[in-house]
Amino acid sequence: MSDDTLLDRLQRKADGRNIDPRAGILEGEGAQQRVKDPEPTRQGMDVLSTVPSRSGPDSAEAPSYYGMPVLKEPLWIWTVPAYFYVGGVAGAASVLGVALESFGGRRLGRLAERCHTVGLAGDIMSAGLLIHDLGRPSRFLNMLRVFRPTSPMSMGSWVLAGSGAVNSAAWVLRRRPGVLGGMGRVAGWMGAVLGLPLAGYTAVLVSNTAVPLWQQVGRTLPLFFMSSATASAGSLLSLFPHTDKEERVLRRFRIAGKVAELFTREAVELEARQVVEVGKPLRSGVSGALWMLSRTCSLAGLVVDVLPGRSRWKQVTADVLSTVGAVAVRYGIIQAGKASARNPQATFQGQRQGLGAAQVDGNTVASDGKPLSFPLPVLGQASPPRPDAPYARFMVTQPQPL
Amino acid sequence: MGSRKGFFTDTTLCIGCKACEVACKQWNQLPDDGFHFTGMSYDQTAHLGASTWRHVAFVERPVPLQGQTSGAGDFSWLMMSDVCKHCQRAACLEACPTGAIVRTEFDTVYVQPDVCNGCGYCVSACPFGVIDRREDDGRAWKCTLCYDRISDDQTPACAKACPTASIQYGDLDELHARAETRVRDLHQQGVTDAYLYGKDAEGQPGTGGLNAFFLLLDKPEVYNLPPDPVVPTKKALRSWASVAMGAVGMVAVAVGAVVLGREG
Repeated sequence: MSDDTLLDRLQRKADGRNIDPRAGILEGEGAQQRVKDPEPTRQGMDVLSTVPSRSGPDSAEAPSYYGMPVLKEPLWIWTVPAYFYVGGVAGAASVLGVALESFGGRRLGRLAERCHTVGLAGDIMSAGLLIHDLGRPSRFLNMLRVFRPTSPMSMGSWVLAGSGAVNSAAWVLRRRPGVLGGMGRVAGWMGAVLGLPLAGYTAVLVSNTAVPLWQQVGRTLPLFFMSSATASAGSLLSLFPHTDKEERVLRRFRIAGKVAELFTREAVELEARQVVEVGKPLRSGVSGALWMLSRTCSLAGLVVDVLPGRSRWKQVTADVLSTVGAVAVRYGIIQAGKASARNPQATFQGQRQGLGAAQVDGNTVASDGKPLSFPLPVLGQASPPRPDAPYARFMVTQPQPL
Repeated sequence: MGSRKGFFTDTTLCIGCKACEVACKQWNQLPDDGFHFTGMSYDQTAHLGASTWRHVAFVERPVPLQGQTSGAGDFSWLMMSDVCKHCQRAACLEACPTGAIVRTEFDTVYVQPDVCNGCGYCVSACPFGVIDRREDDGRAWKCTLCYDRISDDQTPACAKACPTASIQYGDLDELHARAETRVRDLHQQGVTDAYLYGKDAEGQPGTGGLNAFFLLLDKPEVYNLPPDPVVPTKKALRSWASVAMGAVGMVAVAVGAVVLGREG
């Protein structure tokens, strides 16, 4: 203040530029956004390749907004597909553990215990992987703020938390005598009951999104995830040293899982292929490669497993192949979902074929009042341009005559 | 206070001035998106996002407007100010596992920033691709329909700033009536392409109708809107049924393996 000259003070008085500093406090709704990078990089766009909005292969029959995606891509990082695998193994192992405990007799008791250990370890690892995706442990607890049946993520958080709790209790109490031991066994039972949704809800989690591929395979994906969980739990348990008696149970368990996995995988692909653009990511790109790798490994794992011969290396090869297949398929599904979310035609085509609200509500009219009957032309194999098409001269990429 | 509020965006009146984008940014004090050119049209914002709650789409069409000719030949612009639709059945709200997304007394959908976990599930759930997570902030953000303004009986910033009344705010029933009159008028003027997008559950059963609905002149896809969107939750039951089926199978396999394998 003391540095101000008389002129400064006079000017401040005169021009009204001395703003109330309280007016500068940010109180708007969006002011709470924490910005670390003021110049965020934006994903590059194909300059002029799709101008105007009806040019290129998506002609007047299948327009898009400059080929830009409608949907936002799923944001999940690598830990989420890893969790899909680990959670599945944990759930299936808990189920097998209780089945062994109830029907297996004393000689299979050690295997039952190993199953429970795998189940509990899987629960703990799963929580760790999810927390890594969320960033902070407190955020996992935040998931348990509400119980929301419409949100598979809310249901799954409860299932995982509950399963971890009862499996821990069972682990501590099971070998105690008397009432405590009984409580431990009941907790083990509850762990198996929760293990079933733990192995399957992750498929509901992804299919309960707007991502075209995931939504499309909502009926078959849970079956696939659950059979894959059975196969991978059986394979993982077989990797541990085990007796011949235990092998007889494990072999039946994992081969049943592998066969079911084989068939349900085809069902998933069939369901995805109903809409041309939606099924594409399972056949092309990184997601297609992962899907192919997983299919090859799983099939090889089954073939090696059923080949005659009982040598240890053969068993290990089969189990490793099946495990690689099960892990790869989960990464493949996530990648394929991301690819289908980026493709606007995957969203539009399915809905125009009557697979949007029409599927559940039976409405036959799209938002623009036109009937939902026409299947959109297959991209890349569009019909030759009509000579009367007024937009042909605006096209940057001229359509190739067939 | 407390009645159902919404937006009616009449795209035939939009001149693409982007005043709504700027007003939204200013009122809500949203951070900068950086200066980038898309290189495809005058649309440099490209899409709705965590720090872009209004977005003006510029549709370059090689088709003339109905009943009009221009010097540029068969060509026309369509402009649309896009925004969160505040669906009657909101996918983001139904997917949110923390209860961060709530429905307000004005029937709008609001994200509570202090509760949001950043799980990103709402982002994949939205069939319109509206809500987004800011990467360096870690939370999901979207249009609040100026909750702070409407609580004070004021018009949302975008509607207030719109110079052509393309964005209209008010009681939903009143907006519906106004929109229907406008469509009827347009049809009488020969613009028979005009229709309402997402006005109510009848026009868009998948979302139960939108609180922010639009008057459009072309297919929804042209404006980057889905033609027959559905709240994914509506399809969730069949997935849960499959889980139940899978559970029966898994139990059968486990018990069968033990029972058949224990002897010998």
